[in-house]
Amino acid sequence: MLQSSRTQSESETNRLDTLYGTETPEGIDLTAQLAGPVPRILAYSVDLFYRSLILLALAIALAFADRAGWGIWLLTSFFLEWFYPVFFEVFKGGQTPGKKAFSLAVVNDNLTPVTWSASIMRNLLRFADFLPFGYCTGILSMTCSRHFQRLGDFAAGTIVVYRERHKDGVALPDVSPAPPPRGLKLQDQQAIVSLTERSSELSSARQQELADLLQPLTGKSGSAGLQQLQGIGRWLLGARREK
Amino acid sequence: MNLNQLTVEARLRSNWESVDLGIMLARRHWALMASLWLLPAAVVYLLAVVLVPASPNWGLMAAWWLKPVYDRLPLLVVSRQLFGETIGWRQALAHFRQANARDWLAWISIRRLSFTRAFDMPVTVLEGSRGQVRSARISVLHRDSAGTASWLHIVGAHVEMGLLLGIAALSYLMLPEQLEIDWIPLLSTDVTLYTWITNGVYLLVMAAVAPFYICGGFMLYIGRRVALEAWDIEIQFRKLRERLEKQSAAGIGSKRPRARASATTALLLACSFGVLLGNPTPAAADPVTPSQAQEIIDETLAGEEFHQREEVSGWRLKEFESSEFRYPEWLIAFVEWLESREIDSEDEHSEAGDIGPLLAGIIEVLLWVLAISLVIYLLWHFRHHIRRGLGYKPKTATEKSQPETLFGLDVRRESLPEDVTAEVQRLWRTGNQREALGLLYRATLSNLISRYACDFQDHFTESECAQLVREGATQDSRLQPALVHFFTLLTATWQRQAYAHRAPQTAHLESLCNQWREVFRDEN
Repeated sequence: MLQSSRTQSESETNRLDTLYGTETPEGIDLTAQLAGPVPRILAYSVDLFYRSLILLALAIALAFADRAGWGIWLLTSFFLEWFYPVFFEVFKGGQTPGKKAFSLAVVNDNLTPVTWSASIMRNLLRFADFLPFGYCTGILSMTCSRHFQRLGDFAAGTIVVYRERHKDGVALPDVSPAPPPRGLKLQDQQAIVSLTERSSELSSARQQELADLLQPLTGKSGSAGLQQLQGIGRWLLGARREK
Repeated sequence: MNLNQLTVEARLRSNWESVDLGIMLARRHWALMASLWLLPAAVVYLLAVVLVPASPNWGLMAAWWLKPVYDRLPLLVVSRQLFGETIGWRQALAHFRQANARDWLAWISIRRLSFTRAFDMPVTVLEGSRGQVRSARISVLHRDSAGTASWLHIVGAHVEMGLLLGIAALSYLMLPEQLEIDWIPLLSTDVTLYTWITNGVYLLVMAAVAPFYICGGFMLYIGRRVALEAWDIEIQFRKLRERLEKQSAAGIGSKRPRARASATTALLLACSFGVLLGNPTPAAADPVTPSQAQEIIDETLAGEEFHQREEVSGWRLKEFESSEFRYPEWLIAFVEWLESREIDSEDEHSEAGDIGPLLAGIIEVLLWVLAISLVIYLLWHFRHHIRRGLGYKPKTATEKSQPETLFGLDVRRESLPEDVTAEVQRLWRTGNQREALGLLYRATLSNLISRYACDFQDHFTESECAQLVREGATQDSRLQPALVHFFTLLTATWQRQAYAHRAPQTAHLESLCNQWREVFRDEN
């Protein structure tokens, strides 16, 4: 979810982005990627599906139990409606099964794990978001608010962010690592690393073109320049010697 | 297409994040896009009103079917906005024909029901490709994002319907209660005018949602291109190149004076120092070169410390779980009691062998247990409040632990000698005056604690102890005036000895010892 923060000078032109930034008391900038209405609506539908499935199975299982069965079923549906999200948000790192399917998570607006009171608050206010029908208010609020918050989120001080999926190691190009020249900024290094990591996704012509942009840096052109950059990328990723 | 002018941050995004960014972008240009969308749609709808006034649903259907036609102009405008080019409303309308030039028939016939319309439309409108080129391009783009694009379409359609129902529900809620409108006939298609109005509202909802749908698909498309063509890398590389070129232009000027052995002008020297300091200097050479360090590391790793093996063998009993489980008697009795309980007389249709009553009984008992334990818990949790509320004063701790040391003096009985005064006088004679007086004082304190239950606390000072004894004498008859007087005197003497290092006269000590024997006589 969190990623290394981009410095302010980077966004000098105030480019549009879905990042949410906050600063800890220690002066550390944290950023998270906000999640918008479309994946959240889908995540809610997944949860709704699971809940309906549970209630359906329960109804079948309790069919024999007559009035007591109905009582149990009504109790269960009440608890599922109000406490299913609270339970998962508090105990499972802010992720209901539906949110997990879309790698979303609820967090407090200072990016700490969601607390009991906040979770209960945002889920009780579902009622307000539901009005007048089918979560219309919630959808409008999510779409129009700056951090994609519905009313419950505003009241509880929470946001919904993406939790970064664990990335598998990518195959790096087979070049010998080369030490980078001095004076590269963090963003430059990230771009070079990104070029190295995406060597199998980008077309070779495009990679060549990108590498030629940095001819003043590598002093080489063509595939030699590209290999030089990939070597620097591998060095930045920690490789020092030939395999 | 100048990537430096891009008004959104170019970075690798997941598909969903791209859609979210689209929502943000649509928010920014919503009024322009929605009005550009609505204008042709409204024209079609009004035409339908005029041409086929009897069938409002066909009118809506026609307006709905032509959606791809209205989508194009907002898309064209927002793509210009993306690269920092602002277009006014009138200006944009002039592009209507240009936007709809390509593949217009295909989009309102065979591709009308495509679920990826918003995602595919930029290929037609912005890239202008068609036929073979288009399908090849689409297949590349669809590889990772077709699913997201379809879900965007599905959610969009449902949100349109949800909002329409929401508006209907809202207007129904807002009707005054006195106004008893018989609204059922309004919904049936008999009243054409109402249907026209309802459908018009639906069209407005579509226009409101359209910018978000168009931008969502468009940013998904942009996200794919960022990933496939590495826009983010290109932007960063261009910045770096610009900086390098600027640096090398400056560097030529500053290197020359440094190369000259005799630099004459201090200004130029300062210049070159500035450049030197600006760059991070390489770390000072380590005493060990990397290759030597590597050797040492390899040697260490090959050494004994990292190759210790230990083999453990022996016999152990496996744990066998007893498979026999006996239900406790009370549980059996409890279940029997549950079964034998009287069933509510209302339960007329309960049959024999029906376990419904049993289940209900179990739950009833559980609920009762829960309720009772809740009450007990609450009582326990608020016990202090309740006690205070009942006016009950908590007794001061009955079995308070007696202190073992007071102001650093050991006051346990075990630490005292058998005959205190003899030991005191022995110490006094041998010159250990401080120890002698200290022992006497300790013995007194210890006796006061153990025999008269004086409540000395850890934090008391000597004077406070004396005060406590004085005050205690008024309540406790065992504390006789002689004892109180003696303790006050002893305390003063001890304080003088301990803190001022002034020893009393021998006679004074003798008298204290005598008094001690007198006061604690019955014990010895």
